[in-house]
Amino acid sequence: MTPESAPRAHEGTGVTPLSDVGSVVWYDPNADLELDEPPAAETVDPDAERERFEDARERARAELERERDRTAERVGEDEAAVFDAHKQFVDDPQIIDGVEAGVDDGLPAEHAVEDAFEDPIARFEGMDGRMAERADDLRDVRDRLLRLLTDADRVDLASLSTGSVLLAERLTPSDTAQLDSERVAGFATIEGGRTSHAAIFARSLGIPAVVGVGDGLESIDDGTDVLVDGEDGAVIADPTPDQRERAAGGRDVEIREESVETADGRAVEVAANVGTLAELEGAVAQGADGIGLFRTEFLFLDREAPPDEDEQVEVYREALAAFPDGRVVVRTLDVGGDKPIPYLDMPDPENPFLGERGIRRSLGPDADLFETQLRALLRANAAEPGTLSVMFPMVATVSELEAALETAASVADDLASEGLDREVPELGVMIETPSAALTAEALAERVDFLSIGTNDLTQYVMAAARENDRVAELHDPCEPAVLRAIERTVAAGHAGDAWVGMCGEMAGDPDLTELLVGLGLDELSMSAVTIPDVKANIAAVDTADAETLAESATDAATSAAVRDRVANRDHDHNRDSDSDSETP
Amino acid sequence: MERTVTVVPEDGLHARPAATFVETATEFDADVRVAPADGDEPVDAASMLAVTSLGVASGEDVRLIAEGDDAEAALDDLEELLTTPETESAAESSSGT
Repeated sequence: MTPESAPRAHEGTGVTPLSDVGSVVWYDPNADLELDEPPAAETVDPDAERERFEDARERARAELERERDRTAERVGEDEAAVFDAHKQFVDDPQIIDGVEAGVDDGLPAEHAVEDAFEDPIARFEGMDGRMAERADDLRDVRDRLLRLLTDADRVDLASLSTGSVLLAERLTPSDTAQLDSERVAGFATIEGGRTSHAAIFARSLGIPAVVGVGDGLESIDDGTDVLVDGEDGAVIADPTPDQRERAAGGRDVEIREESVETADGRAVEVAANVGTLAELEGAVAQGADGIGLFRTEFLFLDREAPPDEDEQVEVYREALAAFPDGRVVVRTLDVGGDKPIPYLDMPDPENPFLGERGIRRSLGPDADLFETQLRALLRANAAEPGTLSVMFPMVATVSELEAALETAASVADDLASEGLDREVPELGVMIETPSAALTAEALAERVDFLSIGTNDLTQYVMAAARENDRVAELHDPCEPAVLRAIERTVAAGHAGDAWVGMCGEMAGDPDLTELLVGLGLDELSMSAVTIPDVKANIAAVDTADAETLAESATDAATSAAVRDRVANRDHDHNRDSDSDSETP
Repeated sequence: MERTVTVVPEDGLHARPAATFVETATEFDADVRVAPADGDEPVDAASMLAVTSLGVASGEDVRLIAEGDDAEAALDDLEELLTTPETESAAESSSGT
């Protein structure tokens, strides 16, 4: 195509109202999975083939576990459920019988797998709507087994170069689980609809995406510059400068690497929540000032024994190294009966959220683990220039906090006697329980900072479980009771000379930025993707106006009234932030 | 031993409800089968493939058939599962805030 000719738009279903331009990478996961003709039956050892199949199933299950957890963390439990279904397919007696019959007939395990899936896939393909999507699930499971059996390389979607646009026939749940949303500029698929897994994934991670484009997509070659317009549902090869410009405008607001202050000069730190090392890069790329919540659970999940001190030191150092000039707030292990860890003794209580979790375990059955983690944190802090802060989750009483602080002090003493010369890091406490909010004065006097975890705080203040759809309406951080808990926590923190941050989902809601600034928060920590929006909004806030809004919102009688007051204010500010975002 | 129950979860016997159903069915020694109430042949409840192929939607009836020592317990558990609106997310991540 010559640059002068009008670029042709391939039309499909846009699934995110975002656009971006990038360089095409075609993804063909099955290129390596074409099997050769099976060898003569008498040369195949059925017992050995059964064993290979068993081994592949076991590895498939382990992969699915990991992808399940990763998807739950990044997208949500609903989307993660598909991996549970895949595990059931891996263990399906019909499939297993089919494969074993093939092996007994003298087929190698991979050929037997291919045969065993053929009929079920054809059966589902013949059905309509949602049933047809099950055929995709089966293909995904089959290809996973084939890849494991043939030792084919997995195309590494996690390491695509930044600015890639992924084109594929379809993207399976396993594919999307690997995508790094910070690197992928967008994706487009030949097949798929608005409710496909890939579409849902793109929406929750804010990736420009068009699905169901049809075979025409194949005319675009690897390496071509392509515009993915998720709003109008179009994929355009070699876009004109004009089209590029419009795409850039449609993408998120400008990324500000520097820290921001309000229009009248009050500094507000904007940090990222991360739950894996891979997410650090995205946090830096989106302009985070630091990490406001480093979840450490990933270190402990999916393994047979806890990580030792040295392994943890390495991980914490990596986090600190990503923000040499910023602050990294690490939360000590926060597990409870709701997420079993095989090597920990965790009874399955009736209500895990009111049971032994967070600091309760760290001061109880996991005391050794807690001490090791603190040792690793202090050692990492001594080895890196960045500022480490450590916070304790799920604190309900002053005595719990004092016990945790005593442990930290004794760990620091031990390390000092071993010759480690570095002051104790900032210590803080998460405000998640109503009791912590109500006794925040006494807590604040004992620590350097408070960090409000609004997801749990809302759940506990409103007595409404986070995962129960039937009470979803109650799970609203804009409920006046929650706002008042936040208001008093901030006041208590400042009275006790502690800075006060927020690391729940509320902190990343750009519509609430002015309210949160008005409530006096010193730091907001959120998913990296929302950082540019929140930074832009902070820069547009006038503190006095924000405080007036906060007063009015906390006085409101209902969450609807709160949102009403916020929305009416927002009206004036939208104009400012819009004009901001138009200047790249 | 046999029981007819109406499927409550919004997804019917698909996705998460189906996965939980199959997982539960395999926890028992009893041989559990499931059939649409309109008389079709019952299928192995321990097979995700078979259970999903039934295409049971929310609001439809299914027959649960169990044979074996813990048949009654199996039917109790499966009935509870099929009549609970949303599979309570047992795996809720503790990674939130």
